[in-house]
Amino acid sequence: MRAIRLLLAVVLATPLAACAPADSPGLPRCTAIERLGLIAQAVPSASYVPCLAQLPAGWSTEAFDVRRAAMTVKLVSDRAQGPAVSLRFSRSCRTAGAAPFPARTLGGRTYLRLRTLRPRFAGTLIDAFPGGCVQYRFDFVRGQHIALMAQLQSAVGFRSRVQLRQELRHRLGVELRS
Amino acid sequence: MTAEPGVAGPEVIVPVVGKVLGGRRRRPSGEPPPLPWKLPASTVWYATVIVFAVAVEFVLVAPALRPAVTRLDDGTLRLLGHLRSGVATWCALLVEKLGTQQCIQVLGWSTIAVLLAWRRLRRLFVYLTVLLVVVSVSTALATAQGRMRTGAVELIGPWQGYAHPAAPVAMFAAVVVGAVANLVPNGRFRSRVRAVGAALVLLLAGARLYLGVDRPTDAFVALALGGALSVIAYRLAVPEEAFAIGYRRHRTAHLDITPARHAAVVAALADQLGIPAESVEPFGLAASAGSTPLRMTTRDGAALFGKLYAVNHLRADRSYKLARMVLYGRLEDEKPFASVRRLVEYEDHLLRLLRDNGLPVPQPLGFVEITPEREYLLVMSFVPGARDLGDEPIGDQQIDEALGIVRALWRAGVAHRDIKPSNLLLAGGHVRLIDVAFATVRPTPWRQAVDLANMMLTLALVSDPEHVYRRAVRQFAPEDIAEAFAACRSITIPTQLRGRLHADQRDLIGAFRRLAPEREPVRIQVWSLRRLGTTVGALLLLGLAAAAVYAYARTAGLL
Repeated sequence: MRAIRLLLAVVLATPLAACAPADSPGLPRCTAIERLGLIAQAVPSASYVPCLAQLPAGWSTEAFDVRRAAMTVKLVSDRAQGPAVSLRFSRSCRTAGAAPFPARTLGGRTYLRLRTLRPRFAGTLIDAFPGGCVQYRFDFVRGQHIALMAQLQSAVGFRSRVQLRQELRHRLGVELRS
Repeated sequence: MTAEPGVAGPEVIVPVVGKVLGGRRRRPSGEPPPLPWKLPASTVWYATVIVFAVAVEFVLVAPALRPAVTRLDDGTLRLLGHLRSGVATWCALLVEKLGTQQCIQVLGWSTIAVLLAWRRLRRLFVYLTVLLVVVSVSTALATAQGRMRTGAVELIGPWQGYAHPAAPVAMFAAVVVGAVANLVPNGRFRSRVRAVGAALVLLLAGARLYLGVDRPTDAFVALALGGALSVIAYRLAVPEEAFAIGYRRHRTAHLDITPARHAAVVAALADQLGIPAESVEPFGLAASAGSTPLRMTTRDGAALFGKLYAVNHLRADRSYKLARMVLYGRLEDEKPFASVRRLVEYEDHLLRLLRDNGLPVPQPLGFVEITPEREYLLVMSFVPGARDLGDEPIGDQQIDEALGIVRALWRAGVAHRDIKPSNLLLAGGHVRLIDVAFATVRPTPWRQAVDLANMMLTLALVSDPEHVYRRAVRQFAPEDIAEAFAACRSITIPTQLRGRLHADQRDLIGAFRRLAPEREPVRIQVWSLRRLGTTVGALLLLGLAAAAVYAYARTAGLL
């Protein structure tokens, strides 16, 4: 009887252990202001904070890691047939060799640096703005890449730091330092 | 006609409750047992801390209350911010390293290594479970609360993830409590180590508050989770009185005879058996694994022998029987006992049965309850001046008496199942049989035959096989002896006897087989659905345990 109980305990504990989140969940939505506040604290100089605007069908985010000086997260598409898009938010990025791309933030610039066009569409998309930048390393299968690039850009949005600070102060009474 | 209360005919009925009657006394309702089982008083405080932590969680999820708590937290951090200085910051950054992944991994794996080396598997299982719970709850709370760091002061230390609860503090507290509770023997030294551990945990929490990376409520909930919850878990799952920690190379199943336990045994013997014991001391610990053997001396100088059984002995018995079931198949009695009381009742019953059948066993005197359902003491007469059979050469009389014991066991329909030198005593020139814990009534036939083989092997160790065989055929038919050695295998010989046979240069089993009539080996392995199921279950359990340990280690940040 004890063996059965022990067996049951292990059987129940194994998935529990496996399912227990070793990493925090995904990128916070643009409406979750306190969670975005934490991302803003990681890069205090950044004028914008990346957030999850709208997750297209077939996409998910994982391995969210925020710490002093940087935030990283992975965006996974079930159609990309390759590694996940790796997003990194930090104070600065290297833009040398990158071609300008239509800007996605007010006062900021967007660049695209392609590593390969064939057989896969791979490279780095960079959103640079005062005090910070976001890099997206992507590696998409040809054929789907145009749609995937569009979905990636629609998935990640931005909240301005000034606006976020005001909301945090008024709604939660929390200060966001620069 | 009505009887007068308290009077039955000519004899006055004396109430037994609460009064001494012929040396015995029934414990009145409501009176505590000799050694009441209770958690240390501080457990209530730890439980209170957990209740407060739960309350904090509820407050933080209430939109109306969360800003107020945050303001209170931030106010405290502002006050702490005034204390900042170059030296203090340097010290805080140094202390903060206690909460790093590397530090927690070193402490965690060291604890696991020691627990494995000393085969404290139950403690290891509980330790891993506690770490898993702390990490899982901590991560779940962090995700649910999604709390940002303070904005009241500048964050001048490293940080990672959501602020609430303070994960490094929770994990460091969990590994420190785990190390102290599972590795440090009870006593003054543990008190000192515990104080040092608590100081380190509080220093880490304080340093992180000073650096501004945690708020007071983040640190408080982390301490409740990693510290208070862990302490309670260890006190409940591996209580010190049943799972004592020691590093001497002896059996770890023995209970410490603390002053409280000594007094409880004396009181229990007086009240329940009417025995006025004066001293109680451990006796022959090295030879016993399944209980704590005691020698008790009464006021008039008489000696008694006792076997103290507790929950850990019950668990050891269960593991032993599970292993036997997998290795040998379903034998006659591999059902584990349901409670310590049943275990003691069984041995007491067997002692009385063997005594009634004329076997030279110690005189059973009954058993007493020390802690209900947790600790019982089996009491029997002490065999004075006894030595193990096997310590010195023996004569024909002792050989005949020893063989006569097997004959009497067969007649009584009992198999002893643990015939070995240390369970056969020589006292006053006579052979006595002890330790009937493994004996079984109406056993599988080959089990009784094996008793004869083990007895003859034990005797041959201090004599020679030809002589023992010549004496044996006076009491047993040659076919009985042939059956005994046809059933004899390495796994049917008790470990101690097997070791002595190994040390002996002679092939004693072979010698007896040559002397006895030829006989095909007796099949002792019994395959049944139950055994197959148990074996598959045990293998599955091992595989899952390995997977679980890997998952635990990964989740708990140990990999």
